[in-house]
Amino acid sequence: MKTALARLALLATALLAWEVVARVGSPLLYVPPSAALPALRDLLLLRSYPDLPSHLALTVREIAIAYALSVVAGLAVGFALGLYRTVGRAYGPILAALYAVPSVIWYPSLMLFFGLDAASKIAFGFLLGFFPITLAVLAGIRQVNPQLVVVARAFGARPLTIFVKVLVPGMLFTLVGGMRTGLALSVIGVIVGEILGSKAGMGALINHAYGLLRTADYVALVMVTLAVIAASDVTASLVERRARRWTE
Amino acid sequence: MAAPLIAIEGVSRRYVTASGPVDALRDVSLSVDTGEFCTIIGPSGCGKSTLLGMLGGLVALDAGRVLIAGRPVSGPDPRTVATVFQDPGLYPWRTVVENIEFGLELQGVAHADRRRTATELLGPLGLRGFAGKYPRELSGGMRQRVAIGRALAVDTPIVLMDEPFGALDEQTRMLMGEWLLEIWRRTGKTVIFVTHSLHEALALSGRVAVMSARPGRIKSVLELPMPYPRAMESPEIVALRAKLWHEIREESARAMSDA
Repeated sequence: MKTALARLALLATALLAWEVVARVGSPLLYVPPSAALPALRDLLLLRSYPDLPSHLALTVREIAIAYALSVVAGLAVGFALGLYRTVGRAYGPILAALYAVPSVIWYPSLMLFFGLDAASKIAFGFLLGFFPITLAVLAGIRQVNPQLVVVARAFGARPLTIFVKVLVPGMLFTLVGGMRTGLALSVIGVIVGEILGSKAGMGALINHAYGLLRTADYVALVMVTLAVIAASDVTASLVERRARRWTE
Repeated sequence: MAAPLIAIEGVSRRYVTASGPVDALRDVSLSVDTGEFCTIIGPSGCGKSTLLGMLGGLVALDAGRVLIAGRPVSGPDPRTVATVFQDPGLYPWRTVVENIEFGLELQGVAHADRRRTATELLGPLGLRGFAGKYPRELSGGMRQRVAIGRALAVDTPIVLMDEPFGALDEQTRMLMGEWLLEIWRRTGKTVIFVTHSLHEALALSGRVAVMSARPGRIKSVLELPMPYPRAMESPEIVALRAKLWHEIREESARAMSDA
């Protein structure tokens, strides 16, 4: 209760300071709460951007597809590299080198390959989400105590059983952590992709408002986008906590 | 004479390491009868664990053969052989009972049946009341008892023990030895026990096979016909201890100068 009050006090102070600074400076550039909140209301009541739901749905769909692809490919590549020594030795270093490249340099190529529609955003979200998942699988495999595999073999476990009953539970926490990071990065990829060039989606709306200097609307759109991202991250962290309890 | 339960015949094994090939075992032969408690003792690195790994079907042979009940070992046979390792290798996400029933689960035993078997073992294992605990909540000795429980639950005629008490303090180790003897006498299993403790070998075994330093060979086999529990200060045991030490000393010294 006291913590909640203290947090509220901090929030109120921050809002007040923001209001004061924005009014003294430039209300157009700094967008005080007295301008942002009505803009948020107009946005949510579909007055300023009546087609907000379809843009939001598009962004969420792009994120979902990009993330699903990242998970499938990340797990497949991670296990292939981690479980087959030859494959790992041949391709592991390439993967690490690619991961070191700032992914945003690929984005112009992705737009050229996939066009300005959803496909290029999905591709970018996938590219960003893929690496942390692959690397988490690799780290997770290394982290499983080899003795646990020896014991399972001694008791007659075949490779698939070892995978299901020893490897996956033994690395679950690391794996879920990587999948959480992957989700965050897929979200970033899709939204950055939309902002860099698109005709639809939350990023496109943000660009539109910003380009027309409708700064209050811009802030409101950012808040809605943040809420979506925060919700996805909270869900992921709940899953992660559960996995931690299970693995330890 | 009936064929022995376990027959190790002229077994060799060479490992290739960065600094060249290493002969872990050379021409090892040993046979063990049903119901025996046979100990293998020798200096570190003499290939004791390799030999046990061969019996468990986890390590391949370069030459010779290993027969169990007359059939050559070609891989793990979880219905005949169960192994207890020095590192108990318990699954941290499984409770005590879930760890004990692991082998049965792999064999496809129904949940209720394997749970009953595991629960019945808790008493003799001294783990009553710990069924739902996780390995991290147990002491070292208790963890090793869970690992022994996992090996007993599958009820194989043969149990291999690779320095099971090696990581425990001396007092716990002695108590665990007495406890194991009790279990062995009650179940009548054939036990092959690897150790480098003279005390353990003398207190527990019906026979002790002494291995030489690398390349490992069986140097000699001592019979210990004395009844259990053994008075460790009796003249017989003291004499055997001196004899055993004499055999091992040489090999340990050789192992030390090699290292």
